[in-house]
Amino acid sequence: MATRIQFENSCEVGVFSKLTNAYCLVAIGGSENFYSMFEAEFADVIPVVKTSIAGTRIIGRLCAGNKNGLLLPHTTTDQELQHLRNSLPDQVVVQRIEERLSALGNCIACNDHVSLTHPDLDRETEELIADVLGVEVFRQTIAGNILVGSYCAISNTGGLVHPHTSIEDLDELSTLLQVPLVAGTVNRGSEVIAAGMTVNDWTAFCGSDTTATELSVIESVFKLREARPSSIVDEMRKSLIDSYV
Amino acid sequence: MRLEKCWFCSSTIYPGHGIQFVRNDAKIFRFCRSKCHKNFKMKRNPRKVKWTKAYRRLHGKDMTQDSTFEFERRRNRPERYDRNVTEITLKAIKKIDKIRVDREVRHHKMRMKGKKAFEQQAAIKELENSIDLVKAPVALQQESQFTIAKIKVKVSQSQPEGERMEE
Repeated sequence: MATRIQFENSCEVGVFSKLTNAYCLVAIGGSENFYSMFEAEFADVIPVVKTSIAGTRIIGRLCAGNKNGLLLPHTTTDQELQHLRNSLPDQVVVQRIEERLSALGNCIACNDHVSLTHPDLDRETEELIADVLGVEVFRQTIAGNILVGSYCAISNTGGLVHPHTSIEDLDELSTLLQVPLVAGTVNRGSEVIAAGMTVNDWTAFCGSDTTATELSVIESVFKLREARPSSIVDEMRKSLIDSYV
Repeated sequence: MRLEKCWFCSSTIYPGHGIQFVRNDAKIFRFCRSKCHKNFKMKRNPRKVKWTKAYRRLHGKDMTQDSTFEFERRRNRPERYDRNVTEITLKAIKKIDKIRVDREVRHHKMRMKGKKAFEQQAAIKELENSIDLVKAPVALQQESQFTIAKIKVKVSQSQPEGERMEE
């Protein structure tokens, strides 16, 4: 179920939170509203952890993770690292990486099986990603942008990419990732998909500027829609979805 | 808060001290004081600057390989907090520190071993070579005339005690 929320009047939800199938990280905000939205959704299912990374609130763009592990930049302090290790379940491996490109959320897009990375990432980092996250790593670009982590949002059931991705690119990425992909926007036409929304296998959170059309595209590509009479679904599918692989 | 090491001299940098320089390739250089920072800006190699730890390690003045150094690594994969483990670790830190200091003292002793004997030998040699700085060569010659024949002679009062002593 896709929900619209705001972080302190900002619609860039993907910047201040990180959502996976096993845990959820939330930035420490002025008011508790942001945190309570996640809590209300996930109360007993997965742990919702309030944290900072390197003393900042832009945690969604600094870290990369899935249900198997969490990767953190070298700027993460020891106390934050320990806090995350204590709050997350034991199956999740928490690892700090020494890497020149420290905004891992912008460089790595991953779900539980496969990941896309920035083409300039170190070889050791690539091996660490494969080891800690348990995924297959592909160095790719999206619509000519090297920051793959920010221009696409993927989950195990689907993915949303930069609106200017060509059809061939879309096909190629789709075969690599083995999930259906759609080129779309979020937050009233923002191209930075991952900054505007966070998603896992059963929920998605978008910025409050997201239009109803964008929201329904998101719901259908990530398969978040609840069971409905099939005819209505078919009708909407034709009008809303650009390409479905 | 983390106590870092100065890139130049390897001393600990406490909070509120020093300068951090981030190069364009994202490598971070931390300096404990302006002395180290200025040396870095002059492009000096710490391995050639006598008072740094890097030089001392390289030239064998300080211990290089020791198992106590392994404990002070930077770890990237933390473990869950456990009170008992923390307690044991705190005790262990003190002990390991003491052991390291003891080993360093021993290393220094080994390095300085034989220094006294060596200095003694060097002093004797120097005495032989440059005795003319102390006594005039003429006086030495006269003295040698007296001492070559080590015969027991009835002591005549004219020989002064001082010369006898110097042999």
